[in-house]
Amino acid sequence: MHNTNHSSDPRRPDKEHRYKLPINNMQASGEDLTPDYMNILGMIFSMCGLMMRLKWCAWVALYCSCISFANSRINDDTKQILSSFMLSISAVVMSYLQNPQPMTPPWASAIQ
Amino acid sequence: MMRLLLVLIHISLVATQIWVSAHFRDEVEDNEFAEFEDFEDEDDKIVVEDIGQGRPLKPSGSNINNIIEENGEEEEEEDDGIVEDEDNEFDHFQDEEEFEGYDSDRLSPGNKVDDKEVPKITITKVPLHLRTNWDSFYLEMLMVAGLVVYFLNFFAGKSKNNKLANIWYSTHRTMLEENFSLVGDDGKMENESGGLMKESENMYMLWCSGRTCCEGMLVELKFIKRQDLVAVLAQLMRPAQDQIHVRVDMSKDDMDTFVFCIASKKTAARLAKDMADLSVYCPERRSGEKFGLPASFSLLSEMAEVSSAMLDSKVVSTITKYADLIDYIHFSDQFSGPKQPEDTTLTKLPDTKKALLFGFNVPVKGKSATEAMEHIRPLMQLVFYCMEKVKRYRMGKEAKNKADKNRLRVEEAFLKTTHAARAEAAAARREEKKRLEKERILQEDDPEKQRKWEEREMKRQMKKKAPKMKQLKVKAL
Repeated sequence: MHNTNHSSDPRRPDKEHRYKLPINNMQASGEDLTPDYMNILGMIFSMCGLMMRLKWCAWVALYCSCISFANSRINDDTKQILSSFMLSISAVVMSYLQNPQPMTPPWASAIQ
Repeated sequence: MMRLLLVLIHISLVATQIWVSAHFRDEVEDNEFAEFEDFEDEDDKIVVEDIGQGRPLKPSGSNINNIIEENGEEEEEEDDGIVEDEDNEFDHFQDEEEFEGYDSDRLSPGNKVDDKEVPKITITKVPLHLRTNWDSFYLEMLMVAGLVVYFLNFFAGKSKNNKLANIWYSTHRTMLEENFSLVGDDGKMENESGGLMKESENMYMLWCSGRTCCEGMLVELKFIKRQDLVAVLAQLMRPAQDQIHVRVDMSKDDMDTFVFCIASKKTAARLAKDMADLSVYCPERRSGEKFGLPASFSLLSEMAEVSSAMLDSKVVSTITKYADLIDYIHFSDQFSGPKQPEDTTLTKLPDTKKALLFGFNVPVKGKSATEAMEHIRPLMQLVFYCMEKVKRYRMGKEAKNKADKNRLRVEEAFLKTTHAARAEAAAARREEKKRLEKERILQEDDPEKQRKWEEREMKRQMKKKAPKMKQLKVKAL
């Protein structure tokens, strides 16, 4: 009787389950890791740009943080992205404050 | 299309800049006085050009004088036209006839013309200087231009993906609402949003629940990363497709014990390697042709009986019709996601659940988004059909026994491999317990108790050794 009642309608409001956020360890390998890698790369390049005064490093860091931002997840930490942006922008600004000369590309010596 | 254009513009910019920079550097770095040479050249050119236009100004260099003498006749001819055109107040200075024979007079108008000429030179000098200065920042400009292009692409790609997701939802909504009592849930306490969940700019999710025979269904729309210019460029090299992944969590009693998968050849190879259940239960990969499927499909199945039961005429015809849109169909009662990396030693088998997984490609190219989404609607019907089919299907006795044996065997093998690890863990636990007890006893300031505990411990040690003696005795007998 119960079954025939429902035969046309497969819906079962009493069997509703709520969505469970996936446990991180389970899904870790299936996840997209680009934003994390880009974050780390951006950090490394910013540091290179700041410490070794390599302008192109600072610019690359800025690009890395852009890519990281574009690929980030909605529930990712926005602070992390913001800080990586800040770091790379400050690397660019600092390198031009220290030496306002235009950048020489790393391949300039190769072309000559 | 627009994005492609942007990309092309960017690439051509980069190319020309590199080319220009190569030549620019050649010139500049070969000769430190290159800039000054430039100025001299510029002066000459200007005067020569002026002469060409029929303005015989007082030249500064001697070589220019020669040029004037050589071109004398030409100038005379051109003069008539120029005089008519120009109503310059210094017109009379430029009139050749005015100066004929007046060598002494020639100096003063010549000086005046020089006065006029000097600011002209400085005017050309300043912008030239500035221009080279800004030109030398060409790399910076290129970088900023790249950033601008990147962000333009970001917004364009983001809105495109958002549009696609919304169209998918609107075309499938009625079908989903007919099948599920809950469509759209974000897992928070209050179900506020409903509809699609945005996971990232290229990923959207939809959770549906409240249906017979399943606990829930998770639809993941995985689009191309249109918002990321780097990914767009990478995609030109290695084409990717928009995909829809569907995971149906079956109820415990509504699925028999079997693992079964059909997938396009490439995906099948990847799944067989990566998925824990497929790599364990379905070591064999067969061509789909034997079961009436297109040749582009591979079949991974634990039991032949299941494959023939699952691939009934309706399923086969749907798969054949949408062969290019179906990436994989994977039914498993032992689904535990991708394999754990080798180096992680587990002491417990990963949790498994009964799940049906589907992967579909979305044919966005050459179609409007709405058309494409309408085109894949029958695939969602296939999902529901498979759910009902799996629910109804029961394996034969023999197959069931075999499947149970398989599961037992896998578990035993797992226990064996982890036996050493588990024994170690147990020993460590026991050791820890003993140590804690000893500490507790020693901390109590009661020598009587401590003595008693030591005695008891001694007895326990003796007991441990005792059975060995007994065994020896038995053996001796």
